[in-house]
Amino acid sequence: MVNKKEVKTTCAYCGTGCGLVLEIENDRIIRSRGDKEAPVNKGQACIKGVFGYHFVHSKDRLTSPLIRENGKLVPATWEKTLNFVASKFAAIKNSYGGDALSIFACARATNETNYITQKFARSVLGTNNIDGCNRT
Amino acid sequence: MGSNTSDAHPIIANRMKKAAKKGLKIFVIDPRKIDMTKVAEKHLPLKVGSDIALMNGMMNIIIQEGWYNKEFVERSTLNFEELKIHVQQYTPELVESITGLKYEDIYEVSKAYSQAEKGMIAYTLGITEHHCGVNNVFDVANLALLTGHIGREGTGIMPLRGQNNVQGAGDMGCLPNMLPGAVPLLDEQSKEKFEKAWGVTLNPHVGSTLTSMLDKMKDGQVKGLYIVGENPILADVNQSHTRAALENLDFLVVQDIFLTETAELADVVLPARGWGEVEGTYTNTERRIQRVRKAVTAVGDSWDDWYIFTQLANKMGYSMNYDTSEDIWNEVRELCSHLYGGMSYERLDREYGLQYPCPTEDHPGTKVIHTEFYESHDKVSPFTSVSYTPPVELPDEEYPFTLTTGRRYEPYNTHTQTKYYPETLKRKQTEETVDMHPENAEVLEVSNGDWVTVRSRRGEVKVKVKVTDQVQPDLVFMSFHWSEVPTNALTIDEFDPISGTAEYKACAVQIKKL
Repeated sequence: MVNKKEVKTTCAYCGTGCGLVLEIENDRIIRSRGDKEAPVNKGQACIKGVFGYHFVHSKDRLTSPLIRENGKLVPATWEKTLNFVASKFAAIKNSYGGDALSIFACARATNETNYITQKFARSVLGTNNIDGCNRT
Repeated sequence: MGSNTSDAHPIIANRMKKAAKKGLKIFVIDPRKIDMTKVAEKHLPLKVGSDIALMNGMMNIIIQEGWYNKEFVERSTLNFEELKIHVQQYTPELVESITGLKYEDIYEVSKAYSQAEKGMIAYTLGITEHHCGVNNVFDVANLALLTGHIGREGTGIMPLRGQNNVQGAGDMGCLPNMLPGAVPLLDEQSKEKFEKAWGVTLNPHVGSTLTSMLDKMKDGQVKGLYIVGENPILADVNQSHTRAALENLDFLVVQDIFLTETAELADVVLPARGWGEVEGTYTNTERRIQRVRKAVTAVGDSWDDWYIFTQLANKMGYSMNYDTSEDIWNEVRELCSHLYGGMSYERLDREYGLQYPCPTEDHPGTKVIHTEFYESHDKVSPFTSVSYTPPVELPDEEYPFTLTTGRRYEPYNTHTQTKYYPETLKRKQTEETVDMHPENAEVLEVSNGDWVTVRSRRGEVKVKVKVTDQVQPDLVFMSFHWSEVPTNALTIDEFDPISGTAEYKACAVQIKKL
C-alpha cells in the first residue's frame, strides 16, 4: 500500500522564506509546491523551491561518522568518533586556551541548531570565535 | 541596488514586478543589465564599486534642490551640517567620472526617490561585498534618513538575505561579538544573564570574524576548527589562501550532509540531518519566524546538528540535554523574551509565522520597525559621512578586466544540493561561463562556448565564454556554483575592516583564448 501524506514547511534556499507543501509517498518527497496559505509567497515558488528537494534522497548523502586513518576517511561509530573529537578539542583548549578553537556556524540550519552551536562554542569550548557565512 | 533580485530572490522579484504593473517606479542601480531592468523605470549601470560616489552625489543634489525631508532631518537626525558639507565635494562632474553615469540620470533618480511619498532601497551583496561594504551601508542609511524614508510602511532599507536563515543564525548569537537576541557580548548585564542561565563564566573577549580566523589558522593561533554546513573551499575568496589555512590546522571537524570539497580535508566528518528531516524554525529576510518540519525519515546514521553538539558537550563535561527542537526554542524564548517571548511553536503553527519583536503571547508581531521616528519622535539617528574609495585591485595593462562575481538563477551557492536537480529539468545554464561584452569578445576573437583561461594574481581557471551585453565593456561576470570552475581561485582576499566581508565584487583579471 502506498503511504501518502503532505507536510508543510519552509524553503531552505534563499532568505525569502517561501512556504512549501511537500508531497510524501512511502517516506520519500515526490513533489514540492508553493503553499497558497503562505503569507510570503502565496502559492508561488521558484525552481529551487519546486525542484531543489532531490538532494534529500541522494545516494551521496553522508550516512556514518568518518575518521581519518592513514590518510583516508573511514566509517566509525558515533561513540568512538565523539570520544575522539572531545579529546582533541579538550587537548587544544588545555594547551592553548579556548581561543585556539573556532566554529563556523551554518546559516542554512535552524535557529535551534544555531542557538546550540553558539552555546557549545561559548560554554564548552570557551571561545567567542564563532561566525558564519553572514559575511559572504 | 546591487541586487540581482530575479535570479537570487525570484519570489520577491515577482512581487516587485507585480507592483511595477500597478505603478511602482523601480530604479535598478547595478553594473549589469540584469533582468529586473526590464520592469524598471530606469537602469543606472554604474561602474563596479562606485556606489558611494553615486549616493553622495545623489544626496548633494537632494540637499541643493531642497528635496530632503527638513522636518525629519531636524527632529530625528544628527550631523546634518557635516553631511551637507561632505557631499558638496561630489559635484556632477566628479560623480559622472567615477560612476560612468550620466548626470541627468542621477538627477532623475535623486528626484524620484526623495520626492516619492514612500521610497524603499532594497539591496543585496552588491552593496556589502566590497572592501567598503560597511561604508556603502552607511550611505544607504544616510539616504533613507535624509528623505525620511524609514519607519513607515512601504519605506525603509531592505537588505535581501541570501540564505534561508542568515538572519536567524546571527540573531541566535552565531557572531563573534553578539549573544542570542541581538545583544552585544560587551553588555555586562546581558552577559551576566547568559552566564547565570548557562552556569558558566563567559570568555569576555570578542571573537574573530570568519575571514580573520582564516588568517589566524594560517599563522597557527587557531588550531582547531569545527565547520557546520559550510563549504569555504569553494565559497570563500582566494581559494589557495583558504586551503592553506585549513591545511595548517591541527584538527578539523566538518559536520555536513555531503562530503563537500571542504569535508574532504577534515580529520573527522559528522553526518548531519538536513532540511526535510528536521524540526525547527527559520527567520526570513523580513524577521519572520516560520516552522520547518520533518517530512521524511533521516538517512542512515545521521543525527540532528543540535543533537550532535549536545552529545559532544556531555562528553566534554558540560551537561546539555534537550528532547526536542521545541525545548531549545523555549529556552531561546525565555532568554530573549524581548524578541521571541510570544512565539510558541503552537502559535507559529497556528499563525504560519510571526515577525519579531513579539514579546508576549498576545502581541501580534512587528511588521515595521523604527516606527519611533514617526510615532513617539524619541528616536534620533546620526548621519555618518563616508567617502568613495576605489576597488582595491583596479585593472591595469597586465590584468585589464574587472571580474565581478555573483549568483545565477538555478544553482544555489556551491551547488552541493542543487546539483541533484533531475536531469530532465530544463535549465538556462548548466555549466559556468565567463560573461563578457561583445566588444571584448571581438578583440579576443572568441564566441559563445569557446574556452578561455581567466587569470588573476592569485590563481587561474579554464572556463567557456558567454557573450552578452548584460555586462559593460571590460567587466566580466562569473558565479562560484560549479566546482569544475572554482571562481574563488581568482577573487581577492581584501576585506572590509569592520565587517570582515571580502571584496567578491571586484578584482582584476586577464583573459586568454585557449
